[in-house]
Amino acid sequence: MKVKYTIDRATSSPVRLKRRRSRSTMPDYAKMKKPDVKLVILGDMNVGKTSLLHRYMERKFKDTISTVGGAFFLKQWGRYNISIWDTAGREQFHGLGSMYCRGASAILLTYDVTSWQSLAELEDRFLSLTDTASDDCIFAVVGNKADLTDAMAVEQEGEQEESCPASVCPTPPASPSAHKQVHREDAMALYRRILRYKMLDERTSLPAESMCFETSAKTGYNVDQLFETLFDLVLPSIMKKRDDEKISTVDLEQSADVAKAKSHCCS
Amino acid sequence: MEGEYPQSQEPQNVKCCDSRLDCSHIRTDNLIQDVPECTVQDLWLSKRDDLSTSATNGPSSGQEQDPPEMGKGPEQELSDTGSGVLPEGESIVCVAPVGDPEEAFKSKGADDEDQAENASDSASTDNTLEDSSEFMVTVLGRGKLEDEAPEAGPGSPMLAPSSSHRDEDITGESWRLHRKHVFVLSEAGKPIYSRYGNEEALSSTMGVMMALVSFVQSGNNTIRSIYSDEHTVVFMQQGPLVLVSVSSSRQSEQQLRGELLYVYYQIISMLTKASIARIFERKKNYDLRRLLAGSEKILDGLLNLVDSDPSFLLSAVHCLPLASSLRDSISQILQKAITPNLVFSILIAKNQLLTIVQEKTVIEDARLEPADLHLLLNLIGASSAFQAGEIWTPICLPLFNPDCYFYAYISYLDPPECTVCLLLLSTDKEAFYAVAECKRKIDEGMRAQNALRSIARTQSYSASQVGVSDLRHFMYKPFDVPDNHRQLTQFTSPEMEAPYSSEEERMRLLDLYRYMHSRIHSSSRPLKLIYHVAERETLLAWVTSKFELYTCFSPLVTKASAINAITKLLRWIKKEEERLFIRTPPKYSTTPNPSKSSRASKSGPDRQDNTDNGFLSLL
Ligand SMILES: Nc1nc2c(ncn2[C@@H]2O[C@H](COP(=O)(O)OP(=O)(O)OP(=O)(O)O)[C@@H](O)[C@H]2O)c(=O)[nH]1
Ligand SMILES: [Mg+2]
Repeated sequence: MKVKYTIDRATSSPVRLKRRRSRSTMPDYAKMKKPDVKLVILGDMNVGKTSLLHRYMERKFKDTISTVGGAFFLKQWGRYNISIWDTAGREQFHGLGSMYCRGASAILLTYDVTSWQSLAELEDRFLSLTDTASDDCIFAVVGNKADLTDAMAVEQEGEQEESCPASVCPTPPASPSAHKQVHREDAMALYRRILRYKMLDERTSLPAESMCFETSAKTGYNVDQLFETLFDLVLPSIMKKRDDEKISTVDLEQSADVAKAKSHCCS
Repeated sequence: MEGEYPQSQEPQNVKCCDSRLDCSHIRTDNLIQDVPECTVQDLWLSKRDDLSTSATNGPSSGQEQDPPEMGKGPEQELSDTGSGVLPEGESIVCVAPVGDPEEAFKSKGADDEDQAENASDSASTDNTLEDSSEFMVTVLGRGKLEDEAPEAGPGSPMLAPSSSHRDEDITGESWRLHRKHVFVLSEAGKPIYSRYGNEEALSSTMGVMMALVSFVQSGNNTIRSIYSDEHTVVFMQQGPLVLVSVSSSRQSEQQLRGELLYVYYQIISMLTKASIARIFERKKNYDLRRLLAGSEKILDGLLNLVDSDPSFLLSAVHCLPLASSLRDSISQILQKAITPNLVFSILIAKNQLLTIVQEKTVIEDARLEPADLHLLLNLIGASSAFQAGEIWTPICLPLFNPDCYFYAYISYLDPPECTVCLLLLSTDKEAFYAVAECKRKIDEGMRAQNALRSIARTQSYSASQVGVSDLRHFMYKPFDVPDNHRQLTQFTSPEMEAPYSSEEERMRLLDLYRYMHSRIHSSSRPLKLIYHVAERETLLAWVTSKFELYTCFSPLVTKASAINAITKLLRWIKKEEERLFIRTPPKYSTTPNPSKSSRASKSGPDRQDNTDNGFLSLL
């Protein structure tokens, strides 16, 4: 949020006017503009991708139906249009994944904290789909349905929790009685393997601690943080794209925002 | 909305259908005279080489004459049961079958069976079969199920546990009392879908079904149906899939078969026929639920629609009544918003077809069948989650081309009400952004004309508007549309109003219509005109070379006044024609090189491989 307002202040007035107008008249209809950046939600069926997006966009949790194909949404973020693809997790639609991911700036790899299988699927089935994403694509690993396992998922954030140490090739925890099958460490280990798969240097990439989320679409826990962190992180990518389009108008203030966005999220 | 229907509340229907069951007895006798046991069993088994001529063959019966001896049997059946069951109400005009072009799609299913070799001596087979069929009826009808339900383990995330019917206890009484069960299984006997209850838990029931099917097959026969006092069990094999309907709805076998075909087509619409064939070629006991997981709600929704929406019964599209000038101007908006490879632009309002614009060269090859549109509508309806976003999904239109995918763009034009839905079909997987741009244009065009408000203001009509006092409701399906081969078959029908405003009463009327429909389309003795006096209403069904009409009157109507009323009704429909139907669906041209796009997709299996969703690689 901070970053968004910084940018608003930095922009010249005509742009602000335009943004206001489109917001007040037809919030969902302001789709005439081309989206600036693409964000894709991947993950096995039933992990709660649609519910997460629904919670964020409509502030509601309601019954869903398994998504067919993919659903395209446009979110206005500051003066930018962020397109979000909610994809189907079913194998039936697997072949479409790489099309949805083409040129993506951010990809949310979503699993269900109560299902070990859903985390394994991310690596087995979904990671390869991201090959068509943009070179500077950022990744987030999202464990949803935290309300089922963590009491604090209802209200406050709980970072540390006793669990088995992360390993490169982890196995499911022995006791299912805890319900929680995937711990944050497992997700972070996966995140590191993703970086390796992408041949990215861990030291220069966004750290696992800040890119692994546990959320609950049901209670809303961590959902805004997830999306807004990502929006802020993809802003540099938007600006880069815009710069590529009109190299002449390099804005110093924008660069400052980029720096701010980065420091804000990586801290 | 369950389509549940307590049996005690359908006295009239039970009577009617008892007569139908009796008639099955008689025909069973005729068919397998040399196996007397079977007549007692109510087992209806026909030799494969009989199928093309025997009257029991639902799918292909539309095109053929009855065998001469059938004239006698059913005639008696009529005098036996007709007098007792329908005291004086029913008069029947018996004529030669009317060729029903709308049933044409059903004939496809019979093709393979027709070329089967001659049946070998089946007498011994039948004797043994008797036991298994008895077991079958027991299992399905009375539900002696011994299998415990294996829990879906944590390692199988495929089984979405959400729907309440999926969790139903299959050993419970309520499970057995469902009016219509539908099962889909693979040739290897693997469960694929069950309307009620978890497929996993039903695996041994399905195993029995498959055993029965393959047992009969080993004798070069095809099992088609089993009748018991309360249930009709209909079997249908389509490629590697076996579909089974277990119904106490008293519908005709032919109707149940048609419904199973819709289920099959809906599965094809998600996976394509070619993919299913290839999957099972590679792995006979593949668990198709891997690919269909998540689609259960779509199939559930389809079966609910089949039960509650007469479009499926009539194989026709329900068109939204609209002033033709408004319809035309909306069509023009769609006509102008095009992009390469766009083949159909469809606008749906209030679950009825508002307009459809079609690509010229594409519909030269094949027409869009009502069934394909029904599947699309079901897909939209089954997905309330669609409402906020813009959907892009592959979909196969099985009657148009069962082996290839279209890409469907689905978006509502009037959020948040979401009653006006735009459907754009493209042959290009990558065309989402181009097609979404078409929607923007359509949005603009609609807003410029204030079309959405005009659509919102239009209302369906009431039977009272016809101005015939005793007429309560009707369904009219014309055949005489111009340019018949390119035209989409439509029907028109007023709102169901009092006394049919409750869900239950509506279902009762639909059941009566279904009964009339089954008599009209009876494969053994199709009728042209039926005047049927039921307890609480009088129905008249009439089919000519130009139309098919079902009417419902108050019980006080006389035969003469009903005929008179129909004359008036037909005159009224003629007058309102422009408003009630889409006369000539408009066209556009988006494929500059049709031989490359539309035709290739029609006959090019190689191209199909490329547009395939790629899930085959996962096998
Ligand atoms: N308890 C709990 N249930 C959730 C949560 N998020 C989703 N669900 C439930 O999980 C089921 C699946 O949610 P969806 O959002 O449809 O899952 P999806 O990932 O979009 O599934 P596909 O579209 O098939 O890929 C639904 O029954 C949701 O109600 C959550 O945070 N907590
Ligand atoms: Mg979804």
